[in-house]
Amino acid sequence: MAVFLSLVLLVTGILELYYYIPTPTDAALSVQTITYLVPFGGLIRNLHFWSAQLLIIVSAVHLLRVVFTGAYAAPRRFNYLIGLGLFVVLILLNFTGYILRWDQGIQWALIVGVNLVKTIPAVGNFLYRLITGADTPGAATLLRFYAWHIFGLMLPAGILIIWHVFQLRRDGGIAMPAPGMHSDTSRITRFELVRRETVAVLLLSTLLLLLAILVPAPIAPAIENITTIPGDSLAPWFFLWVQQMLKWGDPLLWGVFVPLIMLTILIIIPYGLPIPKNAELGRWLPKSNRLAQIILVVMASLVILLTLLGTRSN
Amino acid sequence: MHRFFLFTSIPFLLVILFAWLTESLRQQPIELIPTLSGKSEYCLTCHSDLPEISASHPMEVFGCVLCHGGERLALDADLAHASMRGGKNPSDLAVVEQSCGGSDCHSGSSQAERDHIQRVMTSIQATYTGAITNILFTFGEQSDLLPRFGALTVQDTSLPSKTGIRSLEAFNPSQHINPIIQQFAQNCLTCHISAKAREGADFHRQTGCAACHSPASQSPYNTSLDDKPKHTLSNAIPYNQCNTCHNRGNYDLRLMEFVERADQPATRLENYYQPIAQFTLCEYTLDCIDCHTAVEVMGDGDIHATQKDIQYVQCRTCHGTLAELPLTKTLLDADDRAFRLALLNPMMDLAIGDTILITENGEPLWNTRVLPGGSYELYGKATGQRLVFRPVMGSGCKQNEWEQDSQSCHTCHALER
Repeated sequence: MAVFLSLVLLVTGILELYYYIPTPTDAALSVQTITYLVPFGGLIRNLHFWSAQLLIIVSAVHLLRVVFTGAYAAPRRFNYLIGLGLFVVLILLNFTGYILRWDQGIQWALIVGVNLVKTIPAVGNFLYRLITGADTPGAATLLRFYAWHIFGLMLPAGILIIWHVFQLRRDGGIAMPAPGMHSDTSRITRFELVRRETVAVLLLSTLLLLLAILVPAPIAPAIENITTIPGDSLAPWFFLWVQQMLKWGDPLLWGVFVPLIMLTILIIIPYGLPIPKNAELGRWLPKSNRLAQIILVVMASLVILLTLLGTRSN
Repeated sequence: MHRFFLFTSIPFLLVILFAWLTESLRQQPIELIPTLSGKSEYCLTCHSDLPEISASHPMEVFGCVLCHGGERLALDADLAHASMRGGKNPSDLAVVEQSCGGSDCHSGSSQAERDHIQRVMTSIQATYTGAITNILFTFGEQSDLLPRFGALTVQDTSLPSKTGIRSLEAFNPSQHINPIIQQFAQNCLTCHISAKAREGADFHRQTGCAACHSPASQSPYNTSLDDKPKHTLSNAIPYNQCNTCHNRGNYDLRLMEFVERADQPATRLENYYQPIAQFTLCEYTLDCIDCHTAVEVMGDGDIHATQKDIQYVQCRTCHGTLAELPLTKTLLDADDRAFRLALLNPMMDLAIGDTILITENGEPLWNTRVLPGGSYELYGKATGQRLVFRPVMGSGCKQNEWEQDSQSCHTCHALER
């Protein structure tokens, strides 16, 4: 599913490239051109948008499945890290794509996001400059986000996806108990696999198309003055939980450290926490790695709760 | 499995068909590239039935976005309208400079008397300072009648200032604890043109330039006003547009409330003014703008203390006195302001060599002309009706020489009601 969504993103993204203009004066207008004036442009953009959102959800669910089935245990530890890296890259791709709209809807997230980076001790100012390309967000910033989106993040994403799949084969396919330790040794045929994947792709395509036709991707008026922060703006949905935490005070703690700590915990799971027993590999909710499951459930619940709070309070 | 495959491909194909149908049933965008901006806009996709706003603002030249703002490429109503200036009214004083201003447009030079926005912003219509000052003075909130506050903060940037009033601060009722001032702020600030009008069709007008220049009814004899804003800009402003603010009632200074007039006017005379005074034939035959000039109504660029300081046209402006004929000017220059004004409201054919009446300040009364026999003609700016009138000089008028104000003329010439 994730690979299919990535392919949809690639194709629709390439089509959008022909019309998108990465300059502050024209970006939002070119998005409007794509949405309203280019034949099937609105559909293509909506497909791009919904594929990106579904990809985040599918990846997050995939991460949950990997932990809940103990599939991250050695020898798949390294591939788990690749997957985690890929997840971060996908979120960044989604965020950079969101910023490329360069309309009033993204203004809040852009200004708050780059200012958040500034709060990081020692390297904050350097990182701020690296992202914005200037003293204040402007033409250089948009160009950098554009470059990151279609090159700087796309390339690693492509490499990591291929690597992730390749590594999966090298590690002996998806996790399962060692030979002789599992009762059911039957395998599905190659044809059956293709059939199942085709059905999955057809179902997903139907869902994607329906979403793209019925629920348009967000769009807002062009930015008049980039330095003003609109009062009633929301961060993109996958950062709503961070936005909600920012209301609690110190931006460095809640906006930078807490998300980094959560990422660190995810990295530590296959290395520092009890790993599932061989016999339980690939089985749902193995007892042996209960701690990792509990930690992940707590983190996921917190993120979901904060996201819901973030949606409600605005 | 085959059956499942079939059941999943059929919805997929149906959705593809749905996507194709949605796309093909979409309204075809209508593009307009106005010559002034040279940028495509698609407002006409939905608004092709809207009449052109005025002959001076042709759609092919101005388009929509130059004045209204908005997202010119969006075909979704919410997005397209989201960034419009002043909602439906780009001439609201809060945004008028961006919408109607600019040196090529209505904030041009004061020498050519084209700085309309600056003049209107400092005018009594916008500042309402006379009423504010008088109320503050009357109820002991300030010790003199010097104007200090207006409905909005304004500065007179043009020099020299005839009045010496250089600026007004925005009137802030929360700075006054006197409940009567609060009451005044609540009930009595609806007249100035930056404020939304009172509820009711009789009061219906927009804010800013459109308060006067987008008349709700084009016909001066149509006493029922349509409360829908019209897409029109006009210099032919009928008297009932002025009546949306003027002559709609009285302020009760004891309760500090506005008391709407309750009479049901049946004739033009009754409708024109409320039944508290006497009026001459001119006053209930002509439209307000036939006598009162653009400077009186829109200001002269200086901040004035009260309405009386800027309203100066009297009966004698057109009729003269026993001792003097009214002031006139023969038009010899094709660039004369009179021609420009006449062009905007072509009710009469003004030509080089015509002699017209002018005010004591030199403003051309471009809708008048001196006739060969010593009489004068006047064309109604809103109606186009032609009236011929004579000067006082040489008539049987027995008025004292020192009593030449309009109120003295009323003594004999007003119609008793």
